[in-house]
Amino acid sequence: MRVAVTGTPGTGKTTAADLLEGRLAEDDSLPDLEVVHLNRVLEREGLYTEVDAERESKVADLDALAEWLEGREGVVESHLAHHFEADRVAVLRCEPERLEERLLERGETEAKAAENAESEALDVVLSEAVEEHGLESVYEIDTTDRDPDGVADALEAVVTGDREPSAGEVDFMGYLT
Amino acid sequence: MSQDDEKWGIAHVHASFNNTIMTVTDLTGAETIAKSSGGTAVKQNRDEASPYAAMQMAESVAEEVKAAGITGLHVRVRGPGGNLQKSPGPGAQATIRALARSGIEIGRIEDVTPIPHDGSRAPKGKGGY
Ligand SMILES: Nc1ncnc2c1ncn2[C@@H]1O[C@H](COP(=O)(O)OP(=O)(O)O)[C@@H](O)[C@H]1O
Ligand SMILES: [Mg+2]
Repeated sequence: MRVAVTGTPGTGKTTAADLLEGRLAEDDSLPDLEVVHLNRVLEREGLYTEVDAERESKVADLDALAEWLEGREGVVESHLAHHFEADRVAVLRCEPERLEERLLERGETEAKAAENAESEALDVVLSEAVEEHGLESVYEIDTTDRDPDGVADALEAVVTGDREPSAGEVDFMGYLT
Repeated sequence: MSQDDEKWGIAHVHASFNNTIMTVTDLTGAETIAKSSGGTAVKQNRDEASPYAAMQMAESVAEEVKAAGITGLHVRVRGPGGNLQKSPGPGAQATIRALARSGIEIGRIEDVTPIPHDGSRAPKGKGGY
């Protein structure tokens, strides 16, 4: 089984996936799934086509990443994860102002924090995930008022099948007005 | 500036998963001429009512815009609702068509959808940009 964990940068994917990784390794009642941090694969294997200088961001080579992922099971964590095959797609969400704060605290530039917050306000990642995988495979998780452990709980429920698909339950457009 | 310029404005369309809002400004973006009210474009039943609600919103904004003497609008679309082909949201297309139908001339249509990114980003064209 492959579970994609996606969401706008800053929604807490890496933090929650790390927690989930520990649980999957330690808890025998949970499936023995590998956690893949796709951004690390992209860096390590050089799977990008160019660098977006303005955004200081590497443009992913999606075909090469898909090839690298082929035949691999597990939890794939990245804001690009929904661009690949998956049985279930968890989409982490965060109210845009809070997202912006998280990103600035993580040391990102204001421009980066702002463009990601606007993306989150417009549901860009959620829409792409639904577009590519259908409503029946998408699990939206609002992390705004959830601590990392709570987010890991929600991810665990997606992995074990104890959560129903959902999408479009938050509305962050207020950020834009 | 010519008189022509004075009759043109910019429609900023924000199209999210299940909502579309629009603000019309002058060409500088400084003065707001009309705003879609939250009530007309609140969360809709996405299966049925979405494009209809977006259309209604555009029609009411169009009336305000015409009353302000604007005859043409350039359109700036932000958001996947306006980009994805099988758009999950009501989308910007319905909005733009409704503006045109109400007799407003449509000028340049620009897509300024933000791109989620950290150390990496998807190539343009993925997801419809
Ligand atoms: N559930 C949460 N609540 C509050 N802050 C969080 C949460 N999860 C992560 N963070 C913080 O937000 C920032 C972004 O988290 P990170 O896991 O790196 O996000 P992502 O991998 O989605 O970009 C980090 O500084 C992290 O400590
Ligand atoms: Mg991360």
